[in-house]
Amino acid sequence: MTLYLTLAWRYLSGRKMRTILTTLAIAIGVMILSGLSSLLPTMMQAFRQNMLSAAGEVDITIGHVSGSPFSPSVLEVVRSTEGVARAGGLLRQAVLLPTTETAGLRVNSVTVVGLELEPAHQTRSYPLAEGRWLEPGDADVVVIPASLAEQLGLKVGDAFILPAAEGQIRLRIVGTVHTVALPGAEEVYMPLETAQRELNLKGYINGIEVLVEAGQDREAVKKRLLERLGAGYSTVLPEFGQEFMTSMEIGEKFFQVIGILALIMGGFIIFNTFRTVVAERRYDIGLLRAIGATRRSVLRLILTESLVQGVLGTAAGLAAGYLLAVATLALLRPVARDFLRMELGEPIFSLTNLLTAICMGIGVTIIGGLWPALSAARVTPLDALRPMLIRPEKRVARARTIIGAGLLAVAVVGLVSRNLALSALGLIAFLAGMVLVTPALVNPFAMFLSTALAFLLQREGQLARSNLARQPGRAAITASTVMISIAIVVATASLTTSVYLGLDQYIRASLGSDFLVMPSAMVLSAGNLGAAPELAQSIKETPGVAEVSTLRLGKTVVDGAVLQLVAVDPQTYPKLSGLIFSAGDPATAFEALGRGRAIIVNGVYALQAGVKVGQTLTLQTPEGPQDYQVVGIGVDFLNAKLATGYISHQNLERDFHITSDVLIMVNAQPGADRAAVREALKQRLEDFPNFALFDSEDYRANMMQASQSSFAMLFIIALALVAPSLLGMMNTLAINIIERTREIGLLRAIGSPRRQIRRIIRSESLLLSALGTAFGLIAGVWLGYVLNDALNAGGFPMPFSFPLAGILLAIAAGILLGVAAASLPARQAARMDIVSALRYE
Amino acid sequence: MKIVQTENLTRIYGSGETAVIALDHVNLSVNEGEFLAVMGPSGCGKSTLLHLIGGLDRPTEGRVLLAGQDLTQLDDDTLTLLRRRKIGFVFQFFNLIPVLTALENVALPLLLDGVPAKEARQRAVEWLERMGLGERLHHRPDQLSAGQQQRVAIARAMVTEPALILADEPTGNLDTRAGDDIANLLRQTVNQWGRTVLMVTHDPRIAAYADRIVFLKDGRIVDETLLTGNGDQQEAQALHERMETLR
Repeated sequence: MTLYLTLAWRYLSGRKMRTILTTLAIAIGVMILSGLSSLLPTMMQAFRQNMLSAAGEVDITIGHVSGSPFSPSVLEVVRSTEGVARAGGLLRQAVLLPTTETAGLRVNSVTVVGLELEPAHQTRSYPLAEGRWLEPGDADVVVIPASLAEQLGLKVGDAFILPAAEGQIRLRIVGTVHTVALPGAEEVYMPLETAQRELNLKGYINGIEVLVEAGQDREAVKKRLLERLGAGYSTVLPEFGQEFMTSMEIGEKFFQVIGILALIMGGFIIFNTFRTVVAERRYDIGLLRAIGATRRSVLRLILTESLVQGVLGTAAGLAAGYLLAVATLALLRPVARDFLRMELGEPIFSLTNLLTAICMGIGVTIIGGLWPALSAARVTPLDALRPMLIRPEKRVARARTIIGAGLLAVAVVGLVSRNLALSALGLIAFLAGMVLVTPALVNPFAMFLSTALAFLLQREGQLARSNLARQPGRAAITASTVMISIAIVVATASLTTSVYLGLDQYIRASLGSDFLVMPSAMVLSAGNLGAAPELAQSIKETPGVAEVSTLRLGKTVVDGAVLQLVAVDPQTYPKLSGLIFSAGDPATAFEALGRGRAIIVNGVYALQAGVKVGQTLTLQTPEGPQDYQVVGIGVDFLNAKLATGYISHQNLERDFHITSDVLIMVNAQPGADRAAVREALKQRLEDFPNFALFDSEDYRANMMQASQSSFAMLFIIALALVAPSLLGMMNTLAINIIERTREIGLLRAIGSPRRQIRRIIRSESLLLSALGTAFGLIAGVWLGYVLNDALNAGGFPMPFSFPLAGILLAIAAGILLGVAAASLPARQAARMDIVSALRYE
Repeated sequence: MKIVQTENLTRIYGSGETAVIALDHVNLSVNEGEFLAVMGPSGCGKSTLLHLIGGLDRPTEGRVLLAGQDLTQLDDDTLTLLRRRKIGFVFQFFNLIPVLTALENVALPLLLDGVPAKEARQRAVEWLERMGLGERLHHRPDQLSAGQQQRVAIARAMVTEPALILADEPTGNLDTRAGDDIANLLRQTVNQWGRTVLMVTHDPRIAAYADRIVFLKDGRIVDETLLTGNGDQQEAQALHERMETLR
């Protein structure tokens, strides 16, 4: 093994530039895969820390699987369970505090904890800092953390004002405690009845904290409790911020795809490089065979070199991935702190993700080097003795071309079938077919293009074209990497435009009322305190208001999976808003919602759970499992990404005990003075500082602008994929120059100036990138179409948008690529010493 | 004892009208401890003969016996092992792996054979010192003169203690003095270290170091002569005149 490693290392370090370029190609893919895959675990860790800080020193915490409030009668079951020393019911909810800053989006929050005050039901001790703890008989008082008091400039005896379902609640601080909590997750303690009033959950609790008797096995007690309570209860507190987590998961998958694509392109580059390496080292390989190296030894030698390259690239990629993760988290930290009350720590690299990145980085390199290694093993000893000529590939392998053409035909069939699965397969067939067919197209395409560019390139274009035509296989591989990156740019343009137009449609349909009253925070379900129904009623009574409809939020579990619930008034909701339906009739569906237990599910959930209209779902509720019939599949803007079901207000109240409104939609009367209506609504909201009033048009405009920033980010990432193809082109050009060293020396000797040599290389580069760009444009439009189809199938109906801007951008990227890739190789070629070049073997 | 024996050895390239008979039913034997030179005009088949005897190529007809073993019956791996252990090669060009030092190049066949690295290096050092290259162990080929590179190649050929050394125009790329040095070294491998050498050359001056000369023309043996083997200039002149008659 030492022999092979020695040879591999010496060969790699003998051609430093080529080794660096090839290594970078692998490093980019590994960097994306490993770096960005650390983001989700880091987020999860921060979530869990929030949960743990809430749980404190309690042995067991019990809640309903849906996260919904439930009757305190459950406490009796818990207290009577063997092994339970004490059990206390509580009501806990995060409440976002309004901010006075005019920027409008910075919020802070606390966690309201309502506790039973009977000493026998106390399950935790709270080290007092000042004042006293809560006592039986207390009402409208609060104990807050000393750190929070200091932050807000409050002391014992001061008033602590919190948003409430009825507007605001004013509590007197009776004490402060030393607690350890994450900033933004500090708990404020009040009597249970006070919390129930504040949160509009009179008579309910949503958690039970349990202390286990000394000497009892905690796990056994937990098991006993769950058996007695039934499937509706669990010992894990449901997580909040699910919307954001879902976005992160989608983002992670997207980055994984980009990372894998970058690695595939790296594999192409490795293949190209090693093919040339084998051709250059024909003598050495033949000599090794002559003096007694078996075919297997030669195979091992090339694969060892490939492995070393893979290890170097992967190591570099992991290091770069760490830096990328650190940089990305630094950007995300303020967003997470402000909107989600999460403190993001250092990046967490799970073993699985690391191993995946390592295996892919090294695996792709070895696969890329395998074919050239097998070809090297076929070199005979006599090859060491014959004079070497880089023979032009006179005939492109006919079989490969025929297979490639066949795959292209299959691809077209897939596309016209209008079936998503066949279209996607067709796309893969198209890409594979193009890679196989491209060698045969190099010469005719280059002829066409060099004729077209003759006025720019003149004599050099002719030489460049013939240089490419001499090695069509290598040109094709290089063009293929360009094709993939250009295809991604075009597809991203198509997708982002489609989604942008689709979003506009969604927002207009979902938020079609004149005004919106909603919490200031970006994420609807992340701990927002709703308003009691009286607010919506008072808004309805406001002069100039024609119609009001509200949304309420809940959560349930169906077949073990969490389902967000959005409750609507089936009478008023369709008038002010609506869902975009992909199955079922809207009128019938909303009417059914108003009668009995009916549910409309969104596309995401329908796809995940394989649900169809007419099916029955069993929802876990605090009132026990309840059957709901699916009456439609539709989606609204605010809940598109999360598995969501829409039910009536009545059912949410009956089965989940929730009556608070989190979004109020308002239509003004026709002809009413909008400004006056707005002023009147603002006055109604004075006592509800956690709610803000929006003109729907302004809100739509803000959302579209925010989405534009996201799309711009996506675009930048797609453009980053152009980097590996840049490396591939530089690699190929560098190899071409090495092979033609004597020829370049001869051109210089017979009078070709350096400038002309540079132009030849540049022309070659432009022809290569033009070839790749042309095929990439076709593949990109196709890919965009398939992705759009996938969105439609996934329950997000979107119009397909032909990416004209994306195509123009891709063409510009292709030209830039051609020029950039040639700059260094052209300079090197022009600077060659003539005599050394002529002597080169 | 005959180290090498060929029986009706024939090699034809191509087929039909474009077929070229490089070797035409050649019967040749080389005795153990002999220094045999093969001469002839360009395209006479001398290199082809050497390739077939060395197992680098396969005959169209006939067979090659090396130390009694029929090479034409062996598969590629066995042939490769045989080349590694029983034959040492010295070529005109590109004898050495450019990224390895002189020491590493000489040790290469031993390492391929699984000899422990320490022992392989030890033996390589010994042979390089015998070749007078004790000061150049860690030099790469591009740091050595052409003559020094050929010495390294001879050391590599000798390090496995092979039965046969095959040299294909070993002095073709060298000046007169360096060429004489190499020829003397090959002579030494026979006289001092008991090897058998088969050398292909077009240079009568170098051929004069051999014990016997075989002349080839158009793929056939046309003449054979015994020599004193000490590089005698008169013998070299006679060989030159004989070559002229063959052209």
